[in-house]
Amino acid sequence: MNEADQAMLAVDFCGLSLTSPLVLLSGCVGFGEEYTRVRGYSNRDAGAVCLKGTTLEPRLGNRPHRVYETAMGMLNAIGLQNPGARYVVDKILPTLDFSETRFIANLSGSTVEEYAEVARIFDDSPIDAMEINISCPNVKEGGVAFGNDPDMSARVVAACRKATSKPIITKLSPNQTNIAENARRCIEAGTDGFAVINTLMGMAIDIEDRVPIIGNNQGGLSGPAIKPIALLKVHQVYQVCREHGIPIIGQGGVNSVQDALEFLIAGASAVGVGTALFYDPLICPKLNRGIVDYLKRHGLSHVAQLTGSLRLNS
Amino acid sequence: MNKPHRDTICVEEAEIISHDAWPGNQYILRILAEGIAADAKPGSFVHLTVDPQRPMRRPISIMRANPKTGMVDLLYKVVGEGTTLLSHRKPGERINVMGPIGNGFTVDQTRSLPLLIGGGVGMPPMIFLAEHYTELAGYHPFVILGSEVPFPFQAEPSKLIIPGMPDGVIAGVPLLEEWGIPSRLTSLQGYPGCHEGYVTDLARQWLDAMDESDRKQVIIYSCGPHPMLEAVAKLAKAYNLPCQVSLEEFMACAVGGCAGCVVKVETDTGPAMKRVCVDGPVFEAATVF
Ligand SMILES: Cc1cc2nc3c(=O)[nH]c(=O)nc-3n(C[C@H](O)[C@H](O)[C@H](O)COP(=O)(O)OP(=O)(O)OC[C@H]3O[C@@H](n4cnc5c(N)ncnc54)[C@H](O)[C@@H]3O)c2cc1C
Ligand SMILES: Cc1cc2nc3c(=O)[nH]c(=O)nc-3n(C[C@H](O)[C@H](O)[C@H](O)COP(=O)(O)O)c2cc1C
Ligand code: FES
Repeated sequence: MNEADQAMLAVDFCGLSLTSPLVLLSGCVGFGEEYTRVRGYSNRDAGAVCLKGTTLEPRLGNRPHRVYETAMGMLNAIGLQNPGARYVVDKILPTLDFSETRFIANLSGSTVEEYAEVARIFDDSPIDAMEINISCPNVKEGGVAFGNDPDMSARVVAACRKATSKPIITKLSPNQTNIAENARRCIEAGTDGFAVINTLMGMAIDIEDRVPIIGNNQGGLSGPAIKPIALLKVHQVYQVCREHGIPIIGQGGVNSVQDALEFLIAGASAVGVGTALFYDPLICPKLNRGIVDYLKRHGLSHVAQLTGSLRLNS
Repeated sequence: MNKPHRDTICVEEAEIISHDAWPGNQYILRILAEGIAADAKPGSFVHLTVDPQRPMRRPISIMRANPKTGMVDLLYKVVGEGTTLLSHRKPGERINVMGPIGNGFTVDQTRSLPLLIGGGVGMPPMIFLAEHYTELAGYHPFVILGSEVPFPFQAEPSKLIIPGMPDGVIAGVPLLEEWGIPSRLTSLQGYPGCHEGYVTDLARQWLDAMDESDRKQVIIYSCGPHPMLEAVAKLAKAYNLPCQVSLEEFMACAVGGCAGCVVKVETDTGPAMKRVCVDGPVFEAATVF
């Protein structure tokens, strides 16, 4: 891609300048280096890379099986396996090449204080931003339990806000009744951006043994199957965000140029790619190219012009 | 910054060269995948797209790889929707394949008598490892394969004598025989020339027939169904032999990104969840069983 084309893709996302609206999603790309094993893959093709969900203490995660393909999607219940925030900051971040992309930490906890403590640890690090995961469906405490309650969501965001001056992106769950209200409360509590949506809760059953296939019994559903739900949620959250200038990373099932464009039009400023990487590890340059081609075809000079350009049927 | 892991896995639109059905729902798939063939090691695997309807890839071990011709051979069994879709693919078509992936088997230079034990569609890595030994001097590998469906090759009476084998257990793998590597087969199905029992029965008889100093030269490598690996690990422990096993677990990314494929492993610092795709698929048996 030439420089002029690349410039069309540049976005400002709550103060971070991203060279592409594509964001690689937490839990799909380990701690930032894993996909570089693949020849032809580069972190530079993504505007940002979200690291695996990180807690204060190390976690072993759930028992296997942890992943399972379902119709146009997959279930996962990893259980936030991670080496703990201190290890990530001391041992992993120094090995990342921050000239390649923006790296975003993904924070989890089972108490408000734990979220804040993890935020404090990352605050004193080169990390570019923090995503607060109040929507993990795969752990017993915290996670989605916070995300489904607007009061708790706001408390987590407020506590992290106090702990850091770096940009905070709140990751919202689709497993809740009024996502727009929750978003409003998180904005009041000081979030700089949103990630919409995390996985939906689901199950798959082994009919021979009559047991759930996923070791954790239930898991988070991601991939193309969830895209229509994700799009509607982005549209709903955008209605709240628009007046505050708060940007959204739209995500859930993005697997083609068409999908990425739909999220942008629905109100996203950046577009997350997770499960699709499992299908095609070289998808990012294809999406970037396709977005640029679309912009040119529509006489647009910049990807930001697409954000929220949806015209509802009257 | 030193990043040796980078650019180690190729993604190729590989042409299907041949795709042969064998009894027992088994298929041997030969693809042209030059990048993968160039770097494949015994124990490494590919992650391939079976069909756009089932976009998640499926992991399959590499059975043979020829760096000169770029050919990669896979052996798989149809067990579900993904492998069924794969079995419909025809020569001349292309499939998207990632590989080679994973840490393979490690040759132990202090042990000249490698025992290779493969069960069912766990046979491929054993064939690859056996072929690797043909390039090394000073080793005398012995291969035991077990299957409860007909073997995906025409078994023939072996001309290579192996002490300790029960009477009538003479069937071997022609390809291995060609390489000068002795092999014997086991099955509960009563196939001619095969031992009616488990792979571990034959292994035990082989080990019992050798003297103490030879036994110290043995190292066991194995791939196959979990219960078989458990039995092999137990045998290795009983005879105090080093043992490397290749494991399977459901996978999503196969590059270490999702932590979906983990197995619990004992380490110096306590239990850890290791990724089968990039930390394995080969592990020291004593750390997992
Ligand atoms: C490193 C590795 C090497 C392998 N090598 C071979 C080989 O050489 N030959 C061969 O026949 N099989 C091999 N397998 C197993 C093979 O990957 C599965 O049989 C296959 O994925 C089943 O897919 P399916 O859709 O037909 O079955 P389904 O049972 O319908 O699969 C449903 C889901 O479960 C996963 N799954 C089911 N069983 C397994 C399994 N045993 N291992 C991993 N994932 C599984 C599938 O990938 C899929 O996501 C290997 C597995 C691993 C991990
Ligand atoms: C294997 C896997 C692990 C995940 N782990 C996390 C995590 O640790 N933290 C988090 O916020 N989201 C996690 N997610 C959710 C993704 O970041 C993403 O929001 C979701 O999968 C929807 O996008 P997709 O359909 O493009 O995958 C995980 C998803 C998958 C598939
Ligand atoms: S399959 Fe993703 S880490 Fe192994």
